[in-house]
Amino acid sequence: MGQQRAPGSFHRLFIANRGEVAVRIARACDELGVTPVFGVSEADADASYVDGREKVVLGPGRAALSYLDAPRVVQAARQSGCTALHPGWGFLAENPTFAALCEAHGVTFIGPSAHVMHLMGKKTPAKRAMAKAGLELIPGSEGILADADEARQVADRVGYPVLIKAESGGGGRGMRVARNAAEVESAFDDAQAEARAAFGDPRVYMEKLVEGGRHIEIQIVGDRYGNAVHIGERDCTIQRNHQKLVEESPSPALTDEVRARSLSAAVEAARAIGYVGAGTMEFLLDADGVLRFMEMNTRLQVEHCVSEMRSGLDLVHEQIRVAAGAPLSWTQDDITLTGHAIECRINAEDPADDFRPAPGTIATWSIPDTSSGDVRVDTHVASGYRIPPHYDSLICKLITKGSTRDEAADRMLAALGELTCEGVPTTIPMHQAILSDPKFRAGDYDTRHIPGWPKGA
Amino acid sequence: MKRPAVDGRMFAPQMTAKLGEGDDGPVVLAPAVGLWRDGPLPGARVVAGDPLGTLEVLGTRYRVLAPAGARGVVRESDKARLARRPVGYGDVLVALDPNVGEAAAADAVAAAAQSSGDGLAFTAPLSGRYYAKPSPDQPLFVNVGDVVSVGQTVALLEVMKTFNRITYGGDGLPDRAKITAIVPSDGDDVDEGDVLLRLQPA
Repeated sequence: MGQQRAPGSFHRLFIANRGEVAVRIARACDELGVTPVFGVSEADADASYVDGREKVVLGPGRAALSYLDAPRVVQAARQSGCTALHPGWGFLAENPTFAALCEAHGVTFIGPSAHVMHLMGKKTPAKRAMAKAGLELIPGSEGILADADEARQVADRVGYPVLIKAESGGGGRGMRVARNAAEVESAFDDAQAEARAAFGDPRVYMEKLVEGGRHIEIQIVGDRYGNAVHIGERDCTIQRNHQKLVEESPSPALTDEVRARSLSAAVEAARAIGYVGAGTMEFLLDADGVLRFMEMNTRLQVEHCVSEMRSGLDLVHEQIRVAAGAPLSWTQDDITLTGHAIECRINAEDPADDFRPAPGTIATWSIPDTSSGDVRVDTHVASGYRIPPHYDSLICKLITKGSTRDEAADRMLAALGELTCEGVPTTIPMHQAILSDPKFRAGDYDTRHIPGWPKGA
Repeated sequence: MKRPAVDGRMFAPQMTAKLGEGDDGPVVLAPAVGLWRDGPLPGARVVAGDPLGTLEVLGTRYRVLAPAGARGVVRESDKARLARRPVGYGDVLVALDPNVGEAAAADAVAAAAQSSGDGLAFTAPLSGRYYAKPSPDQPLFVNVGDVVSVGQTVALLEVMKTFNRITYGGDGLPDRAKITAIVPSDGDDVDEGDVLLRLQPA
């Protein structure tokens, strides 16, 4: 297929997202010969990343009236002549009603069908498939919690502490911990309120909180013809309030035996549920070395670049092809994972001031040299870019590859040093501290603590 | 969108357009993404609250009302007059010339004053006979001085032998408001758009 447009591919594709992921999707469209149309809010309409692009203004800056307003988005896709829509991540990416609305109006939703998304949304079928494929589960509620009373009953059964999580969630939003029965009701209410605001979906479910441990996830891609492959695992243990900061592949904490067994079980489960498109199965590696399935994300993920760097494949190309009805371009044997890749998320937050988000104008922006192929920069910002206050603080992803973990980490330190962002505080100093910390280099940390940060702790 | 709860088969859903400032006078802007149709012809007079045209969003047709403060005469447009023109949020629907026909402008001001008075007005969503109480021997739905909130029944309107409960709410009205006057008397015939209640924010 190469870089040519496959027969039957889309001509025009609507990007129902903003910022860095919108740029990422547009790049794939350009490479495939598909014309992208950006759906933008008023706050993003004049941003440099949509200069010279086709765009439709969806609504005001507030996401609820623009990026999260499903009828507006679908109408905009239709009236701009798009036959496909890429939801990116966040916003409406995991909303089955939205996927169904797209299909009902003749717009191909790039992702799994509304039906599969709904099943995964219930988590129960996903968990059942994973259990059948031989993996351990995290105890928790059977699907959605109806109310705080049910939450308390489930919590009493699985034992405290528990985690209440948003059904359509991600990025750590809509999540609350309850350490005893008295805390359940307020945790339930807070998680619901936050989930409604962030994802337009107030449904929440519950899991026993596994404290510590490592966050490991497996990248899956499937097609409409029952084929599925994995593109290795990613280790996203370094988090703050469930917001991933650093991701890498392979995981330094996984034994070869557990890795091989989990990867093939994940593929088997994806095949069993008829999964189509790119998806991620998330696991927690607990202190006893048991890998427990948490949930499946039915979308492209922020950290997909880590897998792309190791495999040399393009996941967004494949998403678009698969949605257009093409079979997978590769079998499992075609996929070779080499070396070690690390990604740092650069957020416009001040890590020295409790990660205070810092919207503002970037006076000077310059990125490291990427010509070697071992450094990748995914970003939508440029000098003079004004970071709007309405959305999340991710401004750039830096990904490096090396033949070993240390080589990748050293390359990351060099790249972080070459990245210039003046005008707003960023998390660059925190990443520099993490990457040079001996505990990080030794792989000695879990989800509770950021190695090397805060400094001197 | 808050609207009086009326029979959806009889009444088109509506949106209020946004008002903007163009190069030479006020412009009316699209309140959402959709296909704009049935727009006013050049030379038509526009007054706040008037139906301007229709915005089609995923097959649903919304009646688009002129926003508060809009007044003037529709200018000639160099845009091709398409049967259905795709517009994004904030795109110009029509440009107005406020200086044509002083009388028209005066009318507009008078109309705006009548509909809003010195406070807020809740208007009849349909034409019919107004009843202030559920049955002759029962108390009034609302009295002057009461605070009403969205969804509260304020009257009955008899339309073609059918009684419709009229609930408080609508664009431009606060969630709660205090009644300063009840305009029609029990049993009066009212037209769609006639003021039923005068209100002030509670």
